[in-house]
Amino acid sequence: MNIFPLNIKNLNYMSKDKKILKDINLITSEKKITIIAGNNGSGKSTLLKILHGIIQHTSGTINWGEIPVHEVRKKQSMVFQNPILLNRTTFENIVYVAKRKNIETNESVDKIIKQLNLESIINIESKYLSGGEKQKVAIAMSIISNPKIIFLDEPTSQLDPVYKNEIENIITSLSEKNTKIFMTSHDIAQINRIGKEIIFLDDGEIIFHDKVKDFINEKGNSIIRNYVNYG
Amino acid sequence: MFSNIIETAFHLIFTLDKDLLEIISLSLRVTMSALVISIIISIPFGAFLVFYKNKFQSAIILISNTLMGMPPVVLGLIIYTLVSKKGIFGFLDILYTPTAMILAQTLLITPIIISLTYEEVYKKNKEINLLLDSLNLSNFVKLKTLIYECRFALVTVTLTGFGRASAEVGAVMIVGGNINHFTRVMTTAIAFETSRGSIELAVALGLILIFISLLITLLIRSFRRLK
Repeated sequence: MNIFPLNIKNLNYMSKDKKILKDINLITSEKKITIIAGNNGSGKSTLLKILHGIIQHTSGTINWGEIPVHEVRKKQSMVFQNPILLNRTTFENIVYVAKRKNIETNESVDKIIKQLNLESIINIESKYLSGGEKQKVAIAMSIISNPKIIFLDEPTSQLDPVYKNEIENIITSLSEKNTKIFMTSHDIAQINRIGKEIIFLDDGEIIFHDKVKDFINEKGNSIIRNYVNYG
Repeated sequence: MFSNIIETAFHLIFTLDKDLLEIISLSLRVTMSALVISIIISIPFGAFLVFYKNKFQSAIILISNTLMGMPPVVLGLIIYTLVSKKGIFGFLDILYTPTAMILAQTLLITPIIISLTYEEVYKKNKEINLLLDSLNLSNFVKLKTLIYECRFALVTVTLTGFGRASAEVGAVMIVGGNINHFTRVMTTAIAFETSRGSIELAVALGLILIFISLLITLLIRSFRRLK
């Protein structure tokens, strides 16, 4: 299933008479981690949700290689900034997703639990988990179905350095196993550590789309320069 | 005198007085029947309203919220006019029967359970809808998940309905008629026994109602903690 290139043409999104995304045009074949960055309110989370299909864009087209959008949708998952878990144990949360995705639960769930070191919290109700633990469970739920694409909306923004490092390692390892990652982040050090390419949005428009190292060294655009210097 | 009344009331309770048990048993049968019918209708319907947004949704919620505060005697009067001999449902011949009392209590608590279910499911949907959308689930699966996720809150809602139904007197008095050994329930018996000066049985029934109310409050508190 070749999802590349991702081709976005004239994409617009309006909410309550406000243009959130303005004429987004983009072609990318980057297979590892694409960072979507921008100041607050620039539209990065909205773009992520539109790519995932949980928000419908107002106009424009999105094409994933030659694959029909509804087929790609089945191969995607998303992790949110505030991890959303069901009011159940860690195990039951993972099993819930596995069943909805028609996955043979026993082996796959055990594998994910080991992969993400969730053994110690497997029988704990989600409401008693720490922020980092919740985020790990949310990632486990998102990867149980072996998705081709994962969207991560600031997955480490509320985590301490230890959990941040652990989650980054998980994300990097997923990208190395041919999972395409789209991730929003404000953390320049993190973007530099794990990002391969970056899409930078300002007020709903793409003002930069290239390699992360070029973004870090960008001198011409004052918005990007400020973002990099203060990020 | 007061201590004598209390003593006699406790005596009736602890000796398992036949009349007292009969009244309690009918009360519980009527209330539980109304509750079961009501939750079968109201919980799926209240949850359904969260999902299927259309022009009728807000009107239904408005009507349901309005009916929550409807005086039971008015409801009793409406049911009376409908099921009395000259009413359009007179052919059912259910006036002054436990069936009419079940109908009255069901209609009394259904708007309450619908409104409270809607609120709980609405809140939960706001909390987890991104996850459910992300999993690309059908509305039916989402609905089932949301009802399950609200399970503790919905037990509280159910207990609230039970409390409201078991404490009701006006409507069941009108449509049940408070007939001895047939439609006499705790609340109507308390009203009747007090009016004829047989205060001991009324106090005994009152104590049991207070005990049920306490039990419901404790259950609601423990389910709120679970939630």
